[in-house]
Amino acid sequence: MSEEVKQYIKSEYKAGFVTDVESSTIPVGLSEDVIRLISSKKNEPEWLLEWRLKAYRAWQEMTEPDWAHVTYPKPDFQALSYYSSPKSMEENRPKSLDEVDPELLATYEKLGIPVHEQEVLAGVAVDMVFDSVSVGTTFRAKLADAGVIFCPISEAVHEYPDLVKKYLGSVVPQRDNYYAALNSAVFSDGSFVYIPKGVRCPMELSTYFRINEAKTGQFERTLIIADEGSHVSYLEGCTAPMRDENQLHAAVVELVCMDDAEIKYSTVQNWYPGDAEGKGGIYNFVTKRGIAHHRAKISWTQVETGSAVTWKYPSCILKGDDSIGEFYSVALTSNHQQADTGTKMIHIGKNTRSTIISKGISAMTSQNSYRGLVKMNPGASGARNFTQCDSLLIGDRCGAHTFPYIESKNPSAIVEHEATTSKVSDDQMFLCQQRGIDPEKAVSMIVNGFCKEVFKELPMEFAVEAGKLLEVSLEGAVG
Amino acid sequence: MRTELNIDKALAALADQPKPDWLVHWQQQGQQVLSQTAWPTRKTENWKYTSLKSLQGISWQAETPDAVADGIRFVDWQEISIDFVNGRLVNTPKLPDGVTLHRLSDCSEAEGLTFLQKVDSERAGFEFDALNQSLLTEGYWLKVAKDIQVAQPIHLNFISSGADVVTSTQVLVELESGARATIAETFSATAEARVLVNANTALYVGDNAQLTHYHLLLEEGEVRHIGRVTGSLSRFASLSSFHMAVGGILKRKDITIRHRGEGAELSLNGVYLPKGHEVIDYHTTLEHEVPNCTSSEIFRGIMADHGKAVFNGRIHIHKDAQKSVAEMNNRNLLLSDHAEIDTKPELEIYADDVRCAHGATIAQLDKSLLFYFQARGISKKEAEVMLSFGFINELLDALNDQPVQTLLRPLLATLFAQKQADLARHIL
Amino acid sequence: MLTIKNLKAKVEDKDILKGLNIDVKPGEVHAIMGPNGAGKSTLGYVLAGRDGYEVTDGSAELHGENLLDMDAEERARKGLFLAFQYPVEIPGVSNMEFLKASVDAVREARGLEPYSSVEFIKLAREKSKAVNLPADFLKRGVNEGFSGGEKKRNELMQMMLLEPSLCILDETDSGLDIDALQVVAEGVNALRSPDRSFIVVTHYQRLLDYIVPDYVHVLADGKIVKSGGKELALELEKEGYRWIEGETV
Repeated sequence: MSEEVKQYIKSEYKAGFVTDVESSTIPVGLSEDVIRLISSKKNEPEWLLEWRLKAYRAWQEMTEPDWAHVTYPKPDFQALSYYSSPKSMEENRPKSLDEVDPELLATYEKLGIPVHEQEVLAGVAVDMVFDSVSVGTTFRAKLADAGVIFCPISEAVHEYPDLVKKYLGSVVPQRDNYYAALNSAVFSDGSFVYIPKGVRCPMELSTYFRINEAKTGQFERTLIIADEGSHVSYLEGCTAPMRDENQLHAAVVELVCMDDAEIKYSTVQNWYPGDAEGKGGIYNFVTKRGIAHHRAKISWTQVETGSAVTWKYPSCILKGDDSIGEFYSVALTSNHQQADTGTKMIHIGKNTRSTIISKGISAMTSQNSYRGLVKMNPGASGARNFTQCDSLLIGDRCGAHTFPYIESKNPSAIVEHEATTSKVSDDQMFLCQQRGIDPEKAVSMIVNGFCKEVFKELPMEFAVEAGKLLEVSLEGAVG
Repeated sequence: MRTELNIDKALAALADQPKPDWLVHWQQQGQQVLSQTAWPTRKTENWKYTSLKSLQGISWQAETPDAVADGIRFVDWQEISIDFVNGRLVNTPKLPDGVTLHRLSDCSEAEGLTFLQKVDSERAGFEFDALNQSLLTEGYWLKVAKDIQVAQPIHLNFISSGADVVTSTQVLVELESGARATIAETFSATAEARVLVNANTALYVGDNAQLTHYHLLLEEGEVRHIGRVTGSLSRFASLSSFHMAVGGILKRKDITIRHRGEGAELSLNGVYLPKGHEVIDYHTTLEHEVPNCTSSEIFRGIMADHGKAVFNGRIHIHKDAQKSVAEMNNRNLLLSDHAEIDTKPELEIYADDVRCAHGATIAQLDKSLLFYFQARGISKKEAEVMLSFGFINELLDALNDQPVQTLLRPLLATLFAQKQADLARHIL
Repeated sequence: MLTIKNLKAKVEDKDILKGLNIDVKPGEVHAIMGPNGAGKSTLGYVLAGRDGYEVTDGSAELHGENLLDMDAEERARKGLFLAFQYPVEIPGVSNMEFLKASVDAVREARGLEPYSSVEFIKLAREKSKAVNLPADFLKRGVNEGFSGGEKKRNELMQMMLLEPSLCILDETDSGLDIDALQVVAEGVNALRSPDRSFIVVTHYQRLLDYIVPDYVHVLADGKIVKSGGKELALELEKEGYRWIEGETV
């Protein structure tokens, strides 16, 4: 790698500021009492407390998974605080956005997120989650007109208990895995979406997750239910301040996609990745899964540039006949980042289809792995999968890995898997430079080209942002 | 693994045999590891898809019968056949100049330890190495001296027989620099055999040496075959290794090839064809430890009836192994509703200036191909047989040694046309 | 020989043939021309019995027997030969194996003894020479790595070996240069006889310079919209298909 390029890699994390608000944070440590405290702060019904406790008891008997291609000191779960909320959100909880502490809203504005309904990017309704609470949700009235429910899950527990009770944990059971169990025990806030039968959600829905407080973990929980024939596009963004300590983010997302419905779920994950020496950064251990009924379609698109360690496999259970699952991913790692991400496509119904396009970019001394499962059950007649996993290496000290599991028990199912590895070559760089393009621009062009298939799946506002994000993350990573 | 795998009788028989101290020490070391190794289950990543149940509930013994079956014979190859029954050498072939075959039991302590050290250095955490070490009474060291080009192929003809017999063998093939040889290992079993074959082969290919290698697991019947093939390639060494597994209850082979000298070249191909309730499991690993080496790997399988196959193909490019070229391709056909394939092509890459790719597919026979046959008057059944055969035959066609093709083709033909013998008529 | 009445067919729920009538007598050569998407290749596939081509109405009889009830291989054995526009490659199955399997099956259906291997190899070599394919092509996988022209000559060789009574040539001229086209056309002409008929499907008139048809039919939108003698092909070449399409409106 040339010196010039090394210079370029000194990346700058632009979301690393801290918001100065007074927070009420519960003492560190995890116990049944802590769970009771979280539950009481949210004034939860008894069944939910029991649900949490059941998960906690299961979690205590589980061990942290070690199969992923990542190494990190195991988090000390007793050294974390499991609930933190700005004080202004606790006492005299604001009734509307106008009453929310301007300092909080400024945080989101600083991140470029539209917090006022009259703003230009008005096609997007936003739920803002700050540490353990939602501070506000825009366009609720307009959405309500269409019958769409979009609110913090803590509110949904009270307002729509039947829906929450029926679907919470229906896709990701409490004891599904170590982090899902932990999340089920201590989850704080997240978004709840319900799209009624036949409704096409009139605007993009999005949630912005922000970790602000030190020594806390964020454990959000998102539940999206698309009833028969409905359609929704949802996006989430994540950022956190720069801190020397590692912080834990263990989320669970559940999608229920009924007959003929469609859910498009996009993520731009830009948690603080740690500094150039590998100090600090978020541990991002996330379980995302959707269940697709007859002719339903679930599409996951993710652009992952952040976090020190990522462990994440957005998956589709293709239960209904003719259902469709898609996974489009760009995962970029630089410096000392480690990512182990991919998807699972479980084909159960007949003629189910899945497509996996994964683009991994590794720079500096980072490690980037694709891990996936394509499973054709005996009943999945006529099912098809196509998988393409490409890796791009920038520099000779990084690693790019592919671990796809493919299982088939149906003779009429067709699976095709391809993987390639390439690098940003000296020849490509030279050609660009010889044509007057500076090295930074050249790398970003090449990387953007490499990711094109995935970016085109993102909603437009996000595609632009994602492109820029890659550019920033790669600053200084040119070889 | 000692609780699950009952080898008490075999161990007792070991104790009665006279042998040098260093070999005793080797066995004891192995026995210790074996007792400390956990029995692999579905939770063991290496055995996720393959059950070892068929090894349990049998009191395994050691036995070396006198009666010799023929095993496998090639036609028109002029090969030198070295025959083994349950791991014991049973003939004294005349070897060409520059080729030697040593028995571990004949080795001096220094030689013996060199042999074991060479075998040991190729380990990669395979559970059954400890079994091999525990029960190893004899090893074979086939050496081709520097610059010797062996014209005649050498056939290592392994035959298994007996009831509840476990046999551990270790073969070490060493080509010194500039040597050239063709070595075929075949494994067969007598009709009534009920055995566990634990066969390991270590290949060392020296600078500029060239080895053509066949490792054919052709045992039918109540046979479990679990073992390893390792290869170590020096500068500009060339290894072409072909594998095939048919028949038996369970076959598992772990193949690990290491590029240790720059400019080395590997071609690794294989075929697996489980039918009935057979399980065949290949795990392959290509270790590119140094720059400028090339690997090409193609494995294909057809699963019929309740047959099940597992394929795990890993390519590992080490740090600084720049200019590596490694390509792996795995294709599978499922012929029945009850057949199963679990495949996992893996890439692990720590260098950037490399060309690596893998592909894996699972499919049915191509409908447009079937139609082409039908449009020429050939029945669908027959077309299926011919196409299945063709799918595998592509790899056989690429073999340099006609007699190996001649051995394997009829075997395939009867396999694919087992239900309608006449369907095999066109593919011979 | 071949009688097609009001033939309607669809592919993936789309109607492609919409009531087609043709009567081909022994020894005749019929050309079917038409714009792209008119259903020309579909006609060949429907007659040859390809899966996925669903006949919704009408009939097709070969030698007075209902073709539409037969499997694809049965039709081939009854003497119907489809020369593919894009012959598929079959790696691993040698051309020789394939040819023998095919010829044996067709001969068996006609009550003839299968050739011995020696006889067959001799025959196949002779035919490959006749179509100007080197003998080593017989050993290679079916069509594997063949150029476009070689694939078409391989089709022609199969036609010679199978001795069909009805040959359907699907865009045999596509992808061929003029020399290759002549070789193929000569081969076809050599096979013309009073008891063998041909349907030549083509987009361009130039093939018909070499294989001169008795009748020319224009297929547009799933129907024969015009029929005539060989001079119709020349008119079409001059006026283009728009001329025909204009008339059908």
